Amino acid sequence: MKRISNATLNEEIYFENLENGIKLFYFPKKDFTKKYAIFTTNYGSIHNRFKVKEDGELITLPEGIAHFLEHKLFEDEEDDIFTKFAHNGAFVNAFTNFNQTSYLFYSTDNFYENLDLLVNFVQNPYLTDENVEKEKGIIAQEIEMYLDNPKWRVFFNCLKGLYHNHPVRTDIAGTVGSIKEITKEDLLRAYNTFYHPSNMVLFVVGDLDMNRVLETVRNAGKEYEPVDDTPVVVFDNEPTTVNERLIEDYMSTSKPLFYLGIKDNDLGQRGEEAIKKDITTNIILDMLFSDSSDFYHKLYDQGLIDKSFGAYYTGKENYGHSFIIGQTHDPKLLSALILDVFKDYNQFINEDNFSRIKKKEIGQFLMGFNSIEFIANNLTDLYFQDFLLIDYLDVLNSIEFGDVEDRLGSHFKEEFSTLSIIWPNNGNDLNREGDK
Amino acid sequence: MNISRINIGNGIYLNKVITDKFKSNFISINLIRPLDRSEVTKNSLLSYVLGRGTSSLPSKAVLERKLEELYGAHLSVNINKRGERQILRVSMEWADSRFTKDDTYEKSVLEVFRDIMFYPDLKDGLFGESIVEGEKKNLINRIEAKVNDKRTLALNRCIEEMCKGETFSIYQLGYVEDVKSITNTSLTDHYRGILQNSHMEIVYVGVENPSIREDLIPQEYLNRKDVLIVPREIIPKDNFTKNHIVEREDITQGKLVVGYRSNIPYEDGLYSALLLGNEILGGGPNSKLFKDVREKNSLAYYVGTNLIKHKSIILLDAGIDINNYQKTMGLINEMFEDMKNGNFSDDDIEIAKKAIKTSSQSIIDSPHLMGEFTLGKVISKDNRSLEEMIEDIEKVSKEDIIKAMNTVTLDTIYFMTSKEVEQGETN
Repeated sequence: MKRISNATLNEEIYFENLENGIKLFYFPKKDFTKKYAIFTTNYGSIHNRFKVKEDGELITLPEGIAHFLEHKLFEDEEDDIFTKFAHNGAFVNAFTNFNQTSYLFYSTDNFYENLDLLVNFVQNPYLTDENVEKEKGIIAQEIEMYLDNPKWRVFFNCLKGLYHNHPVRTDIAGTVGSIKEITKEDLLRAYNTFYHPSNMVLFVVGDLDMNRVLETVRNAGKEYEPVDDTPVVVFDNEPTTVNERLIEDYMSTSKPLFYLGIKDNDLGQRGEEAIKKDITTNIILDMLFSDSSDFYHKLYDQGLIDKSFGAYYTGKENYGHSFIIGQTHDPKLLSALILDVFKDYNQFINEDNFSRIKKKEIGQFLMGFNSIEFIANNLTDLYFQDFLLIDYLDVLNSIEFGDVEDRLGSHFKEEFSTLSIIWPNNGNDLNREGDK
Repeated sequence: MNISRINIGNGIYLNKVITDKFKSNFISINLIRPLDRSEVTKNSLLSYVLGRGTSSLPSKAVLERKLEELYGAHLSVNINKRGERQILRVSMEWADSRFTKDDTYEKSVLEVFRDIMFYPDLKDGLFGESIVEGEKKNLINRIEAKVNDKRTLALNRCIEEMCKGETFSIYQLGYVEDVKSITNTSLTDHYRGILQNSHMEIVYVGVENPSIREDLIPQEYLNRKDVLIVPREIIPKDNFTKNHIVEREDITQGKLVVGYRSNIPYEDGLYSALLLGNEILGGGPNSKLFKDVREKNSLAYYVGTNLIKHKSIILLDAGIDINNYQKTMGLINEMFEDMKNGNFSDDDIEIAKKAIKTSSQSIIDSPHLMGEFTLGKVISKDNRSLEEMIEDIEKVSKEDIIKAMNTVTLDTIYFMTSKEVEQGETN
């Protein structure tokens, strides 16, 4: 396997592009008992309009299809997948987000058998009309669980306000209505388009024998014809403006919840450039709004914000947004105060808070390396942006105060913002103290 | 991994887990208090007020800036509930100097850690009035915010009803009506009092560090006279009350919580069998409940059980369509009877044993879990090593599990349903 190392972090990673098409990364983590593998396709909820090849017909599948398919890959003709892993003392799971679907397990014993199982179940779907139908009740309950979650609702309402067309505005699991339409044929179409090994990556982390990892994956992987065409995901043109400046909703909460989103219109980066933008934006948000900032303390002392207040940026090649979030009794006043900060940011940033925040980021990144899940999940996420996690510290170290000033001036503009509020509805008559 | 425990003062212990496999070090100090309505809210408020600064870092802003300079050392002051104990905890995790290539800051990290608990920001010997009043509002907001998460709310409501009259029903963050009467004077008095009589456990997980020793505790606390030892919880032997509670909320999905009791205390040899019975019934995606309620009947997305160690209580929770209550409850009762009648296979037992083994072995890969595990052993006076605990699980027979599950009795059914009237049973 090809070795890639990073001196700053004192870690190394091995890579092999196997004959069966699987791209395999192995990250040694010495003295760890737990071993972890995560097999991911670059197919998430935002990829449901596509052409199989460049000049093919445009296909639109029902909302929530990627997540539905994730559930269905756990079907097997003989024994269910959960049982197979459980026999080896392994915990298997999967998740779907906007950009990817991942299948993963961890175990302390029988790692290589489990790795073989992982590759095999993901590469061999077993779908019937009956088992597709059966899943609809389960996923409907998953969707309803999220409908009762005010933090999830305030988040998605904000995305719906920020975007006119981009599918990041659509719920990952779809709706109870959209999943009813999903058929076995839809699922197979999605599977055949997006689960070719050329669209996937496998990360393995733990204290393992590299050659056995390699052999296991080599023998487990099915034979695939190489493909000439890669699927083309189609996105409608997304205007730079926001769809709605204010979205209000009502739920049973104790206080108003808010998400103030700011749409990123500086898009299209990949690799180091994308990561640098991401880190820079998060440093800015920390300088302005973290619990060491002047802004935070002024508003905390006034009782306008509490410990739930925070901010972060997240983005990919074709969308991105900053969020400032929390609970407050007056979300409209708070939003106005935050937007005022962007108009006159110079008084809130200086070399001193910049270097402190940078130090904090370094320490927290290092602490993340205690967790094999953190390592593997972030490796995967960054891999699809053409970046290797172990080079992260070098990019972080390269960021200068000037980068912060440039980004502040371009991204944080009031006209690109959306305020999402969940107001408490009244008439909540549950006696909550249990003194009845 | 080298584990040691030493007594450094009356009622004060230092537990060290020495290992160099992590990129950070972790330390916590735990004040172990009885879970008691008369002080639960004060301790909870203290966790907010102590986080506001120290005598040498006398404001939240100055404190947070210092922590950033210490490579983002992660400070946490919080409240934990362990059985009928309330634990006030200060913890700190920081990047090890081997990786930051900077050996100037670790001493400061430990000073901040010590000062948060022992040298808070006082004015004329008292917590500042405006700080206490501000944090009272924050605590009230936090307690009231429990309605935001309906799944957790339903779990807490079930415990409140099931354990009415028992200490365990007390909510660990305290009560809004008790916050109001606290003043900066009464809170300072309480703080001084608990430093004088609390059993304290320090837990350290990280590289060998000569600064981790008794001087983390100021001299004046090393020879305290009366240290409060919280007694072991009572496990009722029989006469369980049967509750059936339905509450209406503004929700889409019904939240079902079912509480069961066993009379096997964790000190009993049969407790390992109860642990396995719980795992087979509702421990994970291979459990009977998951397979039957979710996979076979498509009634729920989440359904599972949890065994609350200190009270020998099993709590089941599931999110279901409001119209499917009867059907789901019917299946749950069937699964339970199956456990009592031994309708589960050797294979189910093997799988459950392996699941518990993997989870237990994974503890040593996380500084936090290792810290929790170390403290948990001390609290339950369990001297077994991780390996011995796994061995005890492996020895359990099917007969043991049947015997353990036959001690389990249904106590309380709690169902949070929608404000709209159900349409009667659908499939």
